[in-house]
Amino acid sequence: MELMVSLGLGAVTACAVYLLLRARTFPMVLGLSLLSSAANVFIFSMGRLRSGIPPIVNSETTGYADPLPQALVLTAIVIGFGMTGFIMALAVRARYQTGSDHVDGMEPAANRTPADES
Amino acid sequence: MNHLLAVPIILPAVMAALLLILHRAPIAAARVVSVGATGCLLGVAFAIFAQAGPSAPLVYALGNWPAPFGIVLVADRLSALMLTLTALLGLVVALYAAQGWDAKGRFFHPLFLFQLMGLNGAFLTGDLFNLFVFFEVLLIASYCLTLQGLGRERLRATLHYAALNIAASSVFLIAVSLLYGVTGTLNMAHLAERIARVPAEDIALVRAAGLLLLGVFGVKAALFPLHFWLPAAYSSAPAPVAALFSIMTKIGIYAIIRLKTLVYGIDAGAVMDLTTPWLLPCALVTLSFATIGAFGADRLAIMAAYLTMASTGTILSTVALGGAAALSAALYYLAHSTVVIAVLFLSADLIGRSRGDMGDALHPGPQIRHAGWLGLAFLFGGATVAGLPPLSGFLGKVLVLQSTQEGSAAAPMWTVVLVTSVLTLIACTRAGSIVLWNVTEPLPGRPAHPLRRGELIAFTILVACSLMLVVFAAPLLRYFDETAADLISPTPYIDAVLGSSRDGVIKPYAGVSGD
Amino acid sequence: MTLLIIILLPFFAGAAGTLMAQRRGFSAAAWAAAVPTAASLALLAGEVPEILTGEHIIVSWPWLPSVGLNLSLRLDGLSLLFGLLILGIGLLVILYTRYYLSPEDRIGRLYALLMLFTTAMLGIVFSENALLLLMFWELTSLSSFLLIGFWTHSPLARQGARMAFAVTGGGGLALLGGLLLIGNIAGSFELSAWFAARDAIRNHPQFNIALALILLGAFTKSAQFPFHFWLPAAMAAPTPVSAFLHSATMVKAGVFLLARLYPLLGGNLVFEYVTTTVGLTTMVFGAYVAMFRHDLKGLLAYSTISHLGLIMFLLGLDTPMSSLAAVFHVGNHATFKASLFMAAGIIDHECGTRDMRRLGGLWRQMPQTAALAIVAASAMAGVPLFNGFLSKEMFFAEALDLHGIPLLESIAPAAVTLGSMFSVAYSVRFIHDVFFDQPHDLPHQPHKPPRYMKIPAEVLAVVCIAVGVLPSYTVAPLVDVAARAVVGDSLPFYRIALWHGFSLPMVMSIVALAGGSGIYWLLRNRYDVHLHVPARYTGRLLFQHAYDGSVALAGRCMNRLQNGSLQRYLALSIAAFIGLGAWPFIQHGFQTGRLAPMPVGPLGLVVWGIAMIGALGMVWSHRTRVVAVILAGVVGLVASITFAYFSAPDLSLTQLAVEVVTTVVLLMALARLPQATPRESTTHRIVRDAALAVIAGAGVALLSWAVLTREQDSIAWYFLENSVPGGGGHNVVNVLLVDFRGFDTFGEIIVLGMAAIGVWLVLAGMRVEWPAILPKPEANGIMFAAAARLLLPFALLVAVSMFLRGHDLPGGGFLAGLIVSLALLMQYMGEGLHPILTRVRIDFLVLIGAGVLLAGLTGLAGMMAGRPFLTSANGDLHIPFLGDLPLASAVAFDLGVFMAVLGTALLTLTALGQARRKSPEAEEGRPWN
Repeated sequence: MELMVSLGLGAVTACAVYLLLRARTFPMVLGLSLLSSAANVFIFSMGRLRSGIPPIVNSETTGYADPLPQALVLTAIVIGFGMTGFIMALAVRARYQTGSDHVDGMEPAANRTPADES
Repeated sequence: MNHLLAVPIILPAVMAALLLILHRAPIAAARVVSVGATGCLLGVAFAIFAQAGPSAPLVYALGNWPAPFGIVLVADRLSALMLTLTALLGLVVALYAAQGWDAKGRFFHPLFLFQLMGLNGAFLTGDLFNLFVFFEVLLIASYCLTLQGLGRERLRATLHYAALNIAASSVFLIAVSLLYGVTGTLNMAHLAERIARVPAEDIALVRAAGLLLLGVFGVKAALFPLHFWLPAAYSSAPAPVAALFSIMTKIGIYAIIRLKTLVYGIDAGAVMDLTTPWLLPCALVTLSFATIGAFGADRLAIMAAYLTMASTGTILSTVALGGAAALSAALYYLAHSTVVIAVLFLSADLIGRSRGDMGDALHPGPQIRHAGWLGLAFLFGGATVAGLPPLSGFLGKVLVLQSTQEGSAAAPMWTVVLVTSVLTLIACTRAGSIVLWNVTEPLPGRPAHPLRRGELIAFTILVACSLMLVVFAAPLLRYFDETAADLISPTPYIDAVLGSSRDGVIKPYAGVSGD
Repeated sequence: MTLLIIILLPFFAGAAGTLMAQRRGFSAAAWAAAVPTAASLALLAGEVPEILTGEHIIVSWPWLPSVGLNLSLRLDGLSLLFGLLILGIGLLVILYTRYYLSPEDRIGRLYALLMLFTTAMLGIVFSENALLLLMFWELTSLSSFLLIGFWTHSPLARQGARMAFAVTGGGGLALLGGLLLIGNIAGSFELSAWFAARDAIRNHPQFNIALALILLGAFTKSAQFPFHFWLPAAMAAPTPVSAFLHSATMVKAGVFLLARLYPLLGGNLVFEYVTTTVGLTTMVFGAYVAMFRHDLKGLLAYSTISHLGLIMFLLGLDTPMSSLAAVFHVGNHATFKASLFMAAGIIDHECGTRDMRRLGGLWRQMPQTAALAIVAASAMAGVPLFNGFLSKEMFFAEALDLHGIPLLESIAPAAVTLGSMFSVAYSVRFIHDVFFDQPHDLPHQPHKPPRYMKIPAEVLAVVCIAVGVLPSYTVAPLVDVAARAVVGDSLPFYRIALWHGFSLPMVMSIVALAGGSGIYWLLRNRYDVHLHVPARYTGRLLFQHAYDGSVALAGRCMNRLQNGSLQRYLALSIAAFIGLGAWPFIQHGFQTGRLAPMPVGPLGLVVWGIAMIGALGMVWSHRTRVVAVILAGVVGLVASITFAYFSAPDLSLTQLAVEVVTTVVLLMALARLPQATPRESTTHRIVRDAALAVIAGAGVALLSWAVLTREQDSIAWYFLENSVPGGGGHNVVNVLLVDFRGFDTFGEIIVLGMAAIGVWLVLAGMRVEWPAILPKPEANGIMFAAAARLLLPFALLVAVSMFLRGHDLPGGGFLAGLIVSLALLMQYMGEGLHPILTRVRIDFLVLIGAGVLLAGLTGLAGMMAGRPFLTSANGDLHIPFLGDLPLASAVAFDLGVFMAVLGTALLTLTALGQARRKSPEAEEGRPWN
């Protein structure tokens, strides 16, 4: 099970990184959001994997999964959500303003002058 | 119970929340709140500065949960120093922005206050994950502030800035949780102890986490090759925001210092100095790269942005060489550069504004109003940043060189620092003589913006600070030496945070509540 | 104390005074400058008797002991001589300036800068602490930069100023390096300490580096070959400035430095070789070039370079008498060169040109000027009865007995004679071309210079003669103490006199005079010097090319490296992170833990397969974006299931809710973006990215694998034990969120709120079409709207229960917030821009603010009770029919979270969904600056 989780995590990360490196804003943002979910699962896995013992204190069981990483993941999920929404909107506005959804705000065809750079 | 430590975080947060609720109120009210709050923050910062000095670090257990379980705020000399710098800069920026910049964007003041909250929180927190949260606070605030007023360049710059930093945040999460996974704790002081005792087979993991963190902080500090977002973002940001950002790179530097001296600070042999093979070369490259950038810049703001990076390079290369003297020199340089970079950004703004369409481009342009004063302002900034005596830059450079002349790294260090100083000197004289001397038309056709009083006050405060760094250099240096000494031997800090007895804090976690 | 006053008086009294006085007219400004200078001069004169007795004064105040920087000053023969020169000539220059400047010039500024310079220069000569000396040193560079650039409208002035600053300032930094090294060796920066530790310093391995750096500083400052070119370029400065800085004072700083450090450096072979060689070269070179300059000031500049070389040469030599000659010539050169510059200035002022090809025959119009120019020029040429002659002859004498310098020994005598011939030649040219030859085309008829303009030059001319005729009654004692300050008391018996009897130096003088005149005759009649065009590749041109070239190059490099391509930035950053993460494993190797893995369940396999397919499918089909979004949702779903499976119900629910909202957000955004991604990546780039992606993925997989197979030690037990007693909740995760680590959550909701504000900021004023993917409000039927309306109350109910039970069972404020906003979103999609929403849209901000505020205040409540921020209190609240409801103060905190989340979600969604409304913020869409 652990192995599978690790592999899945790796696969998702790889896809996230690949998308992150695309030239258009939308895939880039998808990559970012995928990357943050990968990070979340990673955090979660740092508390080791235990099935069937949720950390909800009750009289019957004394066995609980590690609650701390879960709390961290919750925080991370929320922040990740906020960031994704923000950069998505940013991408939309950039497209609106520059007419291109290229991550550099201009179609590669348009030959650049040094003034656009830096 | 000393609540002082919580104020720098809660005060701006609450004020910002109020401003959001009252966002329909006239901006004058927001200005009053903003300036007032920053004023209070400065007072509080001084109070903490005064208290953190003599005694052991101040510790504040949030929610009354003891460390390492709960989140604690810790103020040692370093944190106090950073808080003070932030508050100073905050006040200056609030004053400056209140002269009209803030009206051009939306929600400037709440965002600005949240930004301050994020900075203060990052400087105060003693918990690594909480540090992440505050990084996010100050980042999202800085995105919004950079965006103020929108425009093509800003959008593009912010998109790049945000993309790189959001990606870096994911790495931050991975590194922090990795540390938790291996050591089972998140409190930095506690981490230091755990890492010192890490079993041999876990060393690689712990070091990997540490180096990833170094990278993450390197992004914030604009350390080569993670700096790419900075020049565009800083040079396109509104001037007051850019001025505020001169502390933003310092947060990365602060975190790196903490990482190096606290979290990986106890030399237990197992984990040898984490940063050694990486930090010095990267920092020197950063310094050279940035200086070349400043040298070839075609706008004052871009020059200032690259000089921000250059200061990072200088400070971190000094930090990398370790040793109390070097650390103390680095801290002096940190304080100096924070102030002078702000001076540069503000003067670039004032000059650019009074040159009409030419802006702050380094091309011959119209005669500017108040050429005398603005010239003096730029001369001051340029001379300081280029390290001309008797200004703070000179002292900083002397300290850096003095503290690094032993050892094998001395030769490259000295060469780079001296050569880049010459280049910076030339770059500043070039910029100044083009913008202020090489005048095409007598006066701009359109009425140039007048200098507003608040802007002058803000500017004067900065200049005064820069001068005080020289006049009161002796006591300041004493403070920095003590700070460096604290950092070199973190045990008192750790004891202050964790208390004397630490047995049973960590338990083998078998998924059952131990009792 | 007196010393300090002497140094600071000119600047602190003078600069302020002149700036204030300038609107009262030139004379007022001149007085404001002259009085402090005179005062300083008087104070210094007061010290003369004591110093003449061979005493020296050292005073010191600690400034930065830790750095070694002390405010320590030294007054001995050397500094006295220089101090008198600076202040004396400074005074004359002030008078001269008042008549030189034209009415439109800002005289106050010039005077203020001159005062600054005077103070800096005095600081150099009186410093006892090396760092202090350096500070003043760089200050002279700065003030000279501003002085040369005084006429900012002239490109030559700007260029000259930049060039001078680049060379001298750069040299200053080299000097800084050298001084720091020696200071480190000696453990102090006090010069006397250095002299005491002479041998220890000179035997230190780093000494030669230090020496090189110091010489670099001295040579650049004193315009030695090949750094000489800045000095001619600096002639664009107003003539008074040239007379002061570039003849008498600043250029002497380099010489002074070496004289000052002579006790430390003198006699060192490297020092001797380098200095003498460079000096001799510079002397001959400068003199040669000077003959061909047409501009008066250009001629004087090169002559200055040549004379500085002469002094350097003398300083380099290891004999006491040479140092004496050097010091003596410093004084002589200062006097005659300053007066010559003033003369040149007068000529320029009266004739409107300084070009010797146009000037001529001026002795008729201005006989007095001619007379004093002749005096000064003869001194420059080394004619007997003038002061230049005396030191020149000593110089010859020294050049004749160079013992132990193999090569130089044989060359020197010839070289110095040749150099002197040249200097005679250009001196003759100066006089003949300007005053006697026929005028060629004067811009306007020259008129008499104002009376007082001539006085300074006259005074100096008188000095030249007085010293020349009666050396022993005028400067001899001063020169003597100065020399003793340099070489110590090893000075043999000597006598400065006009007539030493018929000696070889005498012969050389005669040869030089005769030969020089001869050379000029040749230049004039055989090779018509007036037609000479200066060589193209002067150091100045080279420097200028290098300067512009490197600026352009730097710009190009930056555009190449910092090319504004996010893809490159990301790729490099990711590569860097991979390197950082991999490094330790390269060092220490990779070890998996010993923990036995869990068995794999069938469900697990299926879910895992879905995840893989989803992720890879995303990459495969990311060009058709809608599909990609759906698949992203699938991956999120898998994450949610994973959480559920591994006993994290809270995470599972939250992930689910977030995934839904995220998907909606992405779809709404997609509606305003192209629906497909073009194929544009080159194969090379795809391979590169894929490689990076695979490595990064592998890294993450390995990291998690390594940890998952290890035993766990943790602080987590504490939370399980204290959740109920301390936090008053059974759901430990929720208690962690709102209590143990409530501070994280506090920050988190602020991030969330700001993100929403950011979204709103960014999208404000965009006029966009209604999203194609979302059903058009008009279009979608009653059913949808009705369903949405029906759903709302249920959703609200669920949310409430989620919220209330959150503390004990999976749920909580965040979840509740998301559910409500989803329900409202449905409503909103059902009925389009619902009037309520449009009206209250902006007030989601208030909701966010209120949420944050509430959370904050809950925390503050703890403070009221004297406990730290966010300290919780809890108890049971009895509600009829529902039974006991455990209620923690943290619930209020959670309510804050709820509000913030609700506000955020709705603000984001409506901002993204807002339609064709011409919004008042549209104007803000445009950039402003």
